[in-house]
Amino acid sequence: MKRLMLALSLTLSALALAPAPVRAGATDTDEERAARWSEIKTSIFGDRKVEASESAVTIDAPARALDAALVPIGLTLADKGSVKGLYFVIDDNPSPYAAHFTFGPAADPGEIKLRVRVNNYTNVHAVVETKDGRLLESAKFVKASGGCSAPMGMSDEEAMKGMGEMRLKFAGEPQAGKPVEATLMIRHPNFSGMQMNQITRDYTPARYIEKLDVTSGDQLVFHLDGDISIASNPVINFAMRPDIQGPIKVVASDNQGGRWEHSFPLPSASN
Amino acid sequence: MRVIARATALTALGLLLGAAGPADSPVNVPEPDGLYTGPPRGYTPATLKGATVIDREGLEKLLPDKPVLIDVVLADHRPAGLPADRPWLPTHRSIPGAVWMPGAGAAPLAPEKEEAFLRRVAELTGGDRAKPIVTFCRPECWGSWNAGKRLVAAGYSRVHWFPLGVEGWQDDHDTAVVKPDRAWAESGEGRAAER
Repeated sequence: MKRLMLALSLTLSALALAPAPVRAGATDTDEERAARWSEIKTSIFGDRKVEASESAVTIDAPARALDAALVPIGLTLADKGSVKGLYFVIDDNPSPYAAHFTFGPAADPGEIKLRVRVNNYTNVHAVVETKDGRLLESAKFVKASGGCSAPMGMSDEEAMKGMGEMRLKFAGEPQAGKPVEATLMIRHPNFSGMQMNQITRDYTPARYIEKLDVTSGDQLVFHLDGDISIASNPVINFAMRPDIQGPIKVVASDNQGGRWEHSFPLPSASN
Repeated sequence: MRVIARATALTALGLLLGAAGPADSPVNVPEPDGLYTGPPRGYTPATLKGATVIDREGLEKLLPDKPVLIDVVLADHRPAGLPADRPWLPTHRSIPGAVWMPGAGAAPLAPEKEEAFLRRVAELTGGDRAKPIVTFCRPECWGSWNAGKRLVAAGYSRVHWFPLGVEGWQDDHDTAVVKPDRAWAESGEGRAAER
């Protein structure tokens, strides 16, 4: 007991004397992260120049995500008239290239929202491609981890139930001259291929939405190239030009040959 | 005896300061008798017999003693069905200085992998069974518990289990990119190492 008391008092005094934990200098880490981004950039854009521009696209993401398998991301584009495409990259995900949107004439590309999986504390990057071919990037640090391999908490069969069902929800009544905002919800597990069945210890093969096309009448709103980093049951918020014609057609296809097509009428104007 | 006194002192200190246990879990998980062979993810016990369970502060205090840091996080698995032209660039961040032996906490483990693990730890400790060792992976991961259990069974007297793992550390510390330990990766065939 005496020994214990001694150990205790020693530990306590050590505690009292110990300096406050020093936050390690971030330099090594910063360099590593910059090197990582440069490797990814080259794999996606080759030799094309990517200019830093925090204002061209603003990334809205929780500094600390509640659920790493379902991290909400909002991307606001400053000059929507000049936007041709938008890339979203999660640097430390093993498959970093998460999404690529290409906008068509029916789009009002001021804001895009989606939900992604984040594997580890990481920088995320959004890159805007302008109509005149410039690439403008901005970054944000997100604290979340384990999202790519997180099991869905149900059997694969259950997760695939109703696969391909869709809903399209319009935000409020349509108003003359205002962009038409909509939320597209697709039922699909978007298996990352990194999720292990806890009982059999087998990995569920990757099954994710690879291509998504949203059109209004005969005009493209957007085309999305997706990846395993997009969260299960994808939800995408987007907007269309005020003068678009219905119906809105959505065609989704996954990497295992699944293809689904749905058509949604525009809500009628109230005036 | 000294080890027990130390462990007791740490526990008493934890109680005294009212610190939350490092392995807070909504359920009281008992320690299995041997290695844990159930689903690798899930609630873990608050204790590991023969080892000291440490929280982040405990690890900070131990670092000046230059413990051997053993990370057993599973390597990311390249998904079947991922097109060949997709960039696949897995990276792993860990506590700086850690030795990453992916999957070394799996149970059962092929005998040659088990042997390789113990051989590697013997190298890293320079044969000193009293050298402090820390095992970790991610929260709610049995791998680091098993790795600690193996080392206790092998006679190491200062095994520490850090159940908060990489996540717990990166909350307010830098992490460093690590590659899988080569000696570990080259021992036996890949498949066993991934599990």
